[in-house]
Amino acid sequence: MEAIQIKNISKKYKDVVALDNVSFSFEYGKIYGLLGRNGAGKSTLINIIANRIFADSGNVLIDGISAKENIAIHNKIFCMSEADLYNRDLKVKEHFKWASRFYDSFDSSKALEIAKQYDLDINKRFKELSEGYQSIFKLIIALSLNVPYVIFDEPVLGLDANHRELFYNLLLKEFEAGQQTFIIATHLIEEVTEIIEEVVFIDKGKIIVNESVETLLQKGYSVSGSIKEVDSYCKGREIIGYDELGGLKIAYIIGEKPAMSEKRNLQISTMTLQKLFIKMTNERGK
Amino acid sequence: MIKLKPAVLYNCSTKIKPIGIFYLVQYTIFALICIIINICTGKNQNGSNGLELCTIVFVSITGVLSFKEDFKTLLQNGYTRKYIFLSTVCMFVTITGSMAIIDTVIGNVLHHFISGYNTIFGMMYGYDNLLLNWLWLTVVYMLFCSLFYLAVLVINKVGKMTSLLIGVGLVGVILVIVSLFRFVFSSEIVSNIMRFVMNAMGFMNDGTQNLLFPILSFFGIGFVLTVCSYAIIRRTELN
Repeated sequence: MEAIQIKNISKKYKDVVALDNVSFSFEYGKIYGLLGRNGAGKSTLINIIANRIFADSGNVLIDGISAKENIAIHNKIFCMSEADLYNRDLKVKEHFKWASRFYDSFDSSKALEIAKQYDLDINKRFKELSEGYQSIFKLIIALSLNVPYVIFDEPVLGLDANHRELFYNLLLKEFEAGQQTFIIATHLIEEVTEIIEEVVFIDKGKIIVNESVETLLQKGYSVSGSIKEVDSYCKGREIIGYDELGGLKIAYIIGEKPAMSEKRNLQISTMTLQKLFIKMTNERGK
Repeated sequence: MIKLKPAVLYNCSTKIKPIGIFYLVQYTIFALICIIINICTGKNQNGSNGLELCTIVFVSITGVLSFKEDFKTLLQNGYTRKYIFLSTVCMFVTITGSMAIIDTVIGNVLHHFISGYNTIFGMMYGYDNLLLNWLWLTVVYMLFCSLFYLAVLVINKVGKMTSLLIGVGLVGVILVIVSLFRFVFSSEIVSNIMRFVMNAMGFMNDGTQNLLFPILSFFGIGFVLTVCSYAIIRRTELN
């Protein structure tokens, strides 16, 4: 099976459950958004997939091959990390050289071309780069690798709007050209909504949503209007949250978006992915 | 094992510059000391012996640093712990072997040309066999590399506080052993142990020397330390 299969993964840090019997799959040839709040378990999951940490139980299979301590997956997956795992004293061009030695599928000319687009000075050492350019450097490595599965952990950290836009464009270009699987773990949900096809919400170490963005957005809607009318409309419906501003109230409802009766002075809208995410995960740390 | 070669090359390449700087600084200081002594005394003498000790310090530091940066970089580039470990051991062998060649050649040249200069090996076993001199130095350097590599792996695994407690425990064990030798063991036991140690270092009971014994002894200890390192690194997670 061409997929990353996560089977019954659990991970504890002392008394904190980071992942609680997580099972799902990232299928081949799609762009996924792995979304979760701080401490939800995103990075733990990514680090287990990338063999950087070990699960307490369960296993990860990449195209049917165990990902744990298995060099056979070396040319199948790459994980761009939020953490600095690169030699800080090497120059960018030296890192490109080593990446081409470590990976058969690393395209050095593509890396140089993208570096030029980002105006990245390849003669600078990693430690001399700003936080934004360190992220750009890591993105370039990931985008220049033609491996089936690429994971981006907080890819646009420290990037300005122009550079973020360029990244999304390059990602889509790569996706159209290569049929890879891209997994983007990020907090910037609004930005990736237009890019991702599938979404995985992770909260408190559990997967709470794993489906296509289109299907997910059809599952809910928002209703806004006066408090009295909204409360009246919501009776008997599955509500996942409210927002209030002055006399205006917005209710977020699970269910098929209806055609609004003209009698009611209510406005019905499609929920955004970010709103849905917030409402589904807002039990803690409001 | 096709992916091992780039990892070994990477590990070695990051050490070449520090090795160059190390030798440049070491021999510059050594030359300065010689010049000053010559000017002051008017004799062709040196102020230092056994420069291999400096290399032992250097390879020990290399052992410590080999974990921190290289482990992260190779893990980032998809290497398993087994490959990271193997590439590190290959790097240790390459570096210690190369530095042992340099130290053997330079040490023997200095001994020949500078009055009173002695290498550690020369002081213990003489200057008759360059090959065994090189082999002996290589295994000694490997032992220190492995020892400090293991130490840093242990520190990373158990944390600073537990490492300190282990350090205190080791000091306690050393003190107990010294006390055992002085006050508990009979002179016959002490004599047997000392004879065993001397034999292991190549000094035989009949007054002859067997250089293979110390080489095998150091290799054996280094091997055990390396196996312990693997036992730890295979369970090491990225912090």
